Amino acid sequence: MEFFTGGGALWKARGMPAALADGYEGYVAAARLAEELGFDGFGAPEHHFMYDSFIPLPLQALAAAAAVTSRVKLKTGAMLQPLYDPIEAAEYAAVLDVVSSGRAILGLGMGYRPYEFDGFGYDKKSRGERLAEAIRVIELATSNDTFSFEGKHYQYRDVSLSPRSVQRPIPIWYLGGTSIQAAQRAGREGFPYWLANSSFERTQRMVAEYRKAAFEAGWPEERMQIAAQKDICIGETLAEAEERRLQILDNFYDEHILGYGYLVDDRGRHVYGATREHPVYQQFVSSIYCGTLEMVVEELKRYEALGMTAVSIGGDPHFIAEKILPEFRRGPVAAAPAAQGVSQ
Amino acid sequence: MRIGLSWDVGDGRSPVDAWKAILDEIEVAAGYGFDSAWMTEERGNPASCSAPASFLTAVAARSRSLQLRMAGRTVNRHHFVRLAEEVAVLDLFSRGRAGVSFAAASRTGVAPGHVHEAIDFVRAAWSTDEFRFRGDYIRFPRHTPDSAPAGASEPDAPGAYVPQWEWGPDMPDFLSITPKPYAVNPPVYVEIDDDETLAWAAARGVSPFVRADVPTETAVERLRRYRSLAARAGVPRSATEPVLERRVVVDGATGPTTLGGTPEALINTIRGLRAQTGMSHLVWRRSTAETGEAKALYRFASQVQPLLQA
Repeated sequence: MEFFTGGGALWKARGMPAALADGYEGYVAAARLAEELGFDGFGAPEHHFMYDSFIPLPLQALAAAAAVTSRVKLKTGAMLQPLYDPIEAAEYAAVLDVVSSGRAILGLGMGYRPYEFDGFGYDKKSRGERLAEAIRVIELATSNDTFSFEGKHYQYRDVSLSPRSVQRPIPIWYLGGTSIQAAQRAGREGFPYWLANSSFERTQRMVAEYRKAAFEAGWPEERMQIAAQKDICIGETLAEAEERRLQILDNFYDEHILGYGYLVDDRGRHVYGATREHPVYQQFVSSIYCGTLEMVVEELKRYEALGMTAVSIGGDPHFIAEKILPEFRRGPVAAAPAAQGVSQ
Repeated sequence: MRIGLSWDVGDGRSPVDAWKAILDEIEVAAGYGFDSAWMTEERGNPASCSAPASFLTAVAARSRSLQLRMAGRTVNRHHFVRLAEEVAVLDLFSRGRAGVSFAAASRTGVAPGHVHEAIDFVRAAWSTDEFRFRGDYIRFPRHTPDSAPAGASEPDAPGAYVPQWEWGPDMPDFLSITPKPYAVNPPVYVEIDDDETLAWAAARGVSPFVRADVPTETAVERLRRYRSLAARAGVPRSATEPVLERRVVVDGATGPTTLGGTPEALINTIRGLRAQTGMSHLVWRRSTAETGEAKALYRFASQVQPLLQA
């Protein structure tokens, strides 16, 4: 199982005053460190119009990471694809792929914040359909010298992408949040599927739904891949780990999860302004795994046994590299390729 | 006068090889004291760079001194919000070294007014917090009513503060584009091929850019006209940075778009162009086939650039 991480501060976290440019510099340093410590991938997220100056262009941030690394894969997560024209997205992705000598990975999500769609002038209701079409378009654009596409939302005739990507195609993951509907859509469409934070039990159910939908749609098994984002809190004791979770919730997650409509109830409706007692919020809280080091390793092993090819986690990179990664390494970390590419 | 470099990338090399050659040359040029690196938005061959901000963000992590400029940025291929955001992100990664030059309307199939609106929009995005924009080509946010003032406008009064995460599904009438650039006002340039844009840019104090494929004679005429109109509009000389992009051949022949000659001849030619046009930034347009020929860069940097001012 591969391990992806992130780092630095591509926004100004509430209650943690710091210069944004210093955070950007820290992001570049964190990418270099992740590679040195043996992580497999490094990521960047996306949001717009945020009071905290959240990074709006993950592919651009990853280009900075590309310049100081040569091995780690560079993945967006989540890039809000319905806010891009698919060719526009493919161009940004191809530039990263060339700059990184073929290490770009697209993690594409639907987005959910109403004002982001209003700011960009795109329809929110059609975002699921548009994401699915866009994935097809980007696959075509980064696989063929020239391509055409005739979809419900997007149409292109005899288009050639500049630059031509190194990877043919650039790998794309469908980032489907935590809803069962998303898992089913990913399977039906035959997309590799990167789950958002969920408890193991819910993850099991989503993976089952994903595989069932893929099987029924006739997709070959080798195309169907699963991976997960998994926030973990580690302590000397369970109580200490749970205390850390409270800090993470208070400093970062609560506003993102309780506001903005991230949470979706069982009927697929967005929940705004939920209280901390709301079942879907509690479901999110339980998705952040708390435990001692041994418990966390055991939990991650369960994800590996489920067939996960990768997991993205946060936390102290030195600790994770020293204590967790070796538990999952069956051989040496792949050596950095010879300096053939654009990046160092 | 500032001296920069830009590149043609159509010499048949793979994208990785062509871009690596440029990056290597940028590092050499930074060491020689060149002032800027310009990556042009282009399509049409496999090595063309359609998203120069990302390329330059990679450059930012490898150079500390060069100004980083996007050239030929089109207004209809990438979203106008993203045009504002990408300059700000590059500016933060480079700590204030970002700038952008927009392509002429006539060579990108859009109306001049579309380019003008895009420039007004990105400048508003960088300099104001919550705002909206109503134009013929740009409306931000989407639900901005026809009754809104033309161009950028801000709320008359701030109203009660509601944290963003408590907005719910309601659409705010004004939005702030973030992050803001590191610099207060990143430099903005526009190609002045079109008369309408030339006059508009001169009146607004938007710096002019003349591309390498415009004959020098025409470039001089257009930059002179720009200077005259800017002066008439009361735009101070210090508010703009006229840019002339040329091919340069040290010890070579002068051509319609090429500056050639001995170092002494080049000094006289460039000083003459500066006197005629008021240009303050010369960009040497190179071919990726020329990269690796550091000798020419060294000669220019050591024998021409230091002698451009008496």
